[in-house]
Amino acid sequence: MPRRGALSLALMKASVRWLGKLIGDPTLTAEAAEAALTDAGFPIDARDVVDDGDIRLEVEVTSNRGDCLSHIGLAREMAARGGTWRLELPEPPRVKRGEPVTDALRLQNSIPDLCPRFTAHVVRGIKVGPSPAWLSRALESVGQRSINNVVDVTNYINFLYGQPTHAFDLAKLAGKALVVRLAREGEVLTTLDGKKRALRADEVVVADERAAQSLAGVIGGADSEVGPDTRDVVLEAATWDPVAVRRAARRHQVRTDASHRFERGVDARTIDDPAYLAAAMIADLGGGTVCSGMLDAGRTAAPRRTISLRTDRCRGLMGVPITDEAITEVLRRLSIEVGPDAAGVLRCTVPAFRLDLEREVDLIEEVARVHGLDRVPLQETIRVAVRPPQASESAMQLLGHTLAGLGFYETVTFSFVTEKQAKPFLPPGQELVAVHGDRRAADGTLRPSVIPSLLACRRANDDAGVTVSGGIRLYEAAAVFGQYAGASTERRTLALMLDVPGVERGKPASPEQRQLGVRLLRGALEAAARTLGGEGRLTVRPERPTTPAFEDIAHGLVMLDGSPAGSLGLISPETLRLFGLEFPVVAAEVELAALVRGYPARAKVGNLPAFPSIDRDLSLIVDEAVTWDSIHRAVIEGGVDRLESVAFIGTYRGKQTGAGKKSVTLRMRFRDPARTLRREEVDPQVAAVVELTGRAVGATVRV
Amino acid sequence: MLDQLSTLESSALAELSATSTPEALEAWRIAYLGGSGKLKSAMAGLKDVPKDQKPAVGARLNAVKAALEAAFETRKSSLAPTTSAPAVDMTEPGLIETSTLGRRHILTRVREELVEVFARMGFEVAQGPELEDDEHNFVKLNIPPHHPAREPSDNFYVDDPARVARPRMLRSQTSTVQVRVMEQAVKAGGGRLQAPIRIIAPGRVYRPDTVDATHSFMFHQIEGLAVDRGVTMSDLKSTLLQFARAYFGPDAEIRLRPSFFPFTEPSAELDMKIRLRPEDEPRWIELGGCGMVDPAVFSLCGIDPEQWTGFAFGFGIERIAMGKYGIPDIRLLFQNDLRFLNQV
Repeated sequence: MPRRGALSLALMKASVRWLGKLIGDPTLTAEAAEAALTDAGFPIDARDVVDDGDIRLEVEVTSNRGDCLSHIGLAREMAARGGTWRLELPEPPRVKRGEPVTDALRLQNSIPDLCPRFTAHVVRGIKVGPSPAWLSRALESVGQRSINNVVDVTNYINFLYGQPTHAFDLAKLAGKALVVRLAREGEVLTTLDGKKRALRADEVVVADERAAQSLAGVIGGADSEVGPDTRDVVLEAATWDPVAVRRAARRHQVRTDASHRFERGVDARTIDDPAYLAAAMIADLGGGTVCSGMLDAGRTAAPRRTISLRTDRCRGLMGVPITDEAITEVLRRLSIEVGPDAAGVLRCTVPAFRLDLEREVDLIEEVARVHGLDRVPLQETIRVAVRPPQASESAMQLLGHTLAGLGFYETVTFSFVTEKQAKPFLPPGQELVAVHGDRRAADGTLRPSVIPSLLACRRANDDAGVTVSGGIRLYEAAAVFGQYAGASTERRTLALMLDVPGVERGKPASPEQRQLGVRLLRGALEAAARTLGGEGRLTVRPERPTTPAFEDIAHGLVMLDGSPAGSLGLISPETLRLFGLEFPVVAAEVELAALVRGYPARAKVGNLPAFPSIDRDLSLIVDEAVTWDSIHRAVIEGGVDRLESVAFIGTYRGKQTGAGKKSVTLRMRFRDPARTLRREEVDPQVAAVVELTGRAVGATVRV
Repeated sequence: MLDQLSTLESSALAELSATSTPEALEAWRIAYLGGSGKLKSAMAGLKDVPKDQKPAVGARLNAVKAALEAAFETRKSSLAPTTSAPAVDMTEPGLIETSTLGRRHILTRVREELVEVFARMGFEVAQGPELEDDEHNFVKLNIPPHHPAREPSDNFYVDDPARVARPRMLRSQTSTVQVRVMEQAVKAGGGRLQAPIRIIAPGRVYRPDTVDATHSFMFHQIEGLAVDRGVTMSDLKSTLLQFARAYFGPDAEIRLRPSFFPFTEPSAELDMKIRLRPEDEPRWIELGGCGMVDPAVFSLCGIDPEQWTGFAFGFGIERIAMGKYGIPDIRLLFQNDLRFLNQV
């Protein structure tokens, strides 16, 4: 579900005084208007007191209700609430009618697909001047500045009916003609805002015989603008293709009240009243005459839409026991004509201004909305089909608790990083994915790994002076992105990082510290793997990293249940520099799916040993390059009698071990299933281990 | 062939000495020593060498290879930051040791609380990709082409929507998961929906909002969908009331206000009268949107709207977390300052 506003919610500035007049309630209060509109689905975003005591409401109008971007539309909704309010449409002033309009102007509409209807009135012999006080105050109430008695009328009509109109100075129209056509590529139009615009061939213009005079539905042209000397006015009232208007408005970066309305749809069948009212008002205020008749060019208007509504379906979807009569009554309040159809079916004819009502369900929504969502009954119980707990959810909880217990803080970082931050983490063969448009250049790259975000977060905490005893540890489980040959990949990973403990800032880490950092992070990974799927699932295979993010000599592949599932290692100095970290950190990232695959761990229950074991420690001096794994394997695979297990105790480097050497201490556990062993009984086995490791990895015993 | 090898060697060495970054070095390695590098192709060419020359060319090849590899290592160590540290033994077992406790993120915990309540009402968690396409984010949610919601300025497209027919984009709403779940259910049912659906889909969504105290370009939503025979708006309201009481306390109330979404009809805004914190007075909070699944969405997903009806709802997780924990600024949630994480 989007947030409100996400789907191009529009705001309509509405005057409480205008609304009151339209519904026959001159004492309408802002509170009453607000309550009625909110109930009808038009909540109020803001409320302001205007200078002369009127109140201006900013009404939220959803994108399907272009008809409510007008006072009449909102008043109609208020009147439909029931009660004493009735919509009263304004009467045009009585004015003198003059010569036939066809004598004054020629009209041609060559593109009825993009201009379903174009109408024009001509008003002659007016004097352009300031508007009367009531009109400028009325416009002020809806946030409009008064300009003159012609422009003000077009603005007023727009706010009243939601029908934009445009006035041309007839004297400035070449050939006394208006032509609705596509622009010529590169055709230049200077618009009312003074900007010279080069038009494109897919844009619609209203032109005279020579040149474009307005960008249709968006903004008028300066050449035929009504000015102080204007005597005769051509008043355009038309409808335009919403997509064409949106495209032109976006391309020319000009949003007007007119484009705002046309983008949301204005119906061709609702033009007549506002068009004549505008012409009559201009004639009235300017002391002129309206030419008789109206020029009208376009395609034939569609008949009003008829929709069948099954009343059972209406009740069934709403869960409200509303009668057919009540349904009919609600629809009629919305100016929908309701007649009989088959049994249980209402034949509904929709008014022209309701472009949004096309299907049965649209009518059901209207019934629900006007009847009242508060009348949809609440049940004290609901039907439930019980489901088993979801392993994926429980696994993630357990994972989080385990890591938190190991001192890790969970972060929630943005999925975007900069290209520079992303690059060191991009696996070979993959390409980065970035968002299209302006953001790409900044941090518009979708992260190929969560580690860069953790490093950035680590840096931010460092900048803020945050310290944690033993160093900061962070983790996050999130999606990572990449693509290969245009096909994207999205995987969820678990990323972890921790400070190598005990390193003084600016000083290099000792081998022991580096080793400790790696072991701590590995310990966390092992704990996670074990808690989610049991013992022995995770190993690390030393391998050069495939990305420059990790140090070559301190990196391994994380193997889960025998398959590669991620990386673990010290972050390389270049990468640390990139993130401005002046101390070493260890990081790991594993596939979340591989990690939680084992969940829930299967218990392996067996009898406990009946006899005690004997433990023997052994310290072996080996070359630096000899891994614990090779020592361990040599011992385990050596077939040593009654050896139950071999555990790692520690590694030591010092004078006694010599340069390039290290001492590794291991603990052997011996047990006989049938009896208690004596200490001296395992001496030969220990000797055998010494011999085995000597042969396999060149180990000597440290004494 | 021998001449070619000499040229290869000298140009390789020249290029190598020109590398100045580890990246350039790696590119060089791939170009010459990589699996489909120039040296490999030269080796592949050995089979076309006349038999009598083979030993000489082979030997020369090996010598060039050794020379390049040695030069590469030298160059690498000169480029690499000097570290005298011995290699870390990656095979040493892990160690568990900590002096403090960490913490799960507040958004994770709130998400979990919400999921838990809905799980008791029989809803299962469903997930979908964050990198979506316009098919799932718009088309199948009944948001037609040219709908203002598709404006490039209001979405994070990955492909240029003006050029690509089915552009990829970051999902702007978790409703995409509804579509995926319904599609899968229909597929699993052999082209027809066979069983009711009850899912919730918590997850990240993306919208290029200007960041301020209450807006972020990435945030989390939790979306619910129930499809069954005879589901009504009363069921929707009752489910949300049960949730409100279970999560916010027994005196919680709910209110629906008419609204519009392309994928639900009737649509409503969801308000709850709740105490976000126990010490607060109950007040009305706008929580999100809801409605009955639009029959067009059902049809687009292959479900017969005459047989099945359903409801959907969604709200923002940040909003609940911020209200409940008194978090004044949404940015705190994503900065991950440990001092903040420790507070909530």
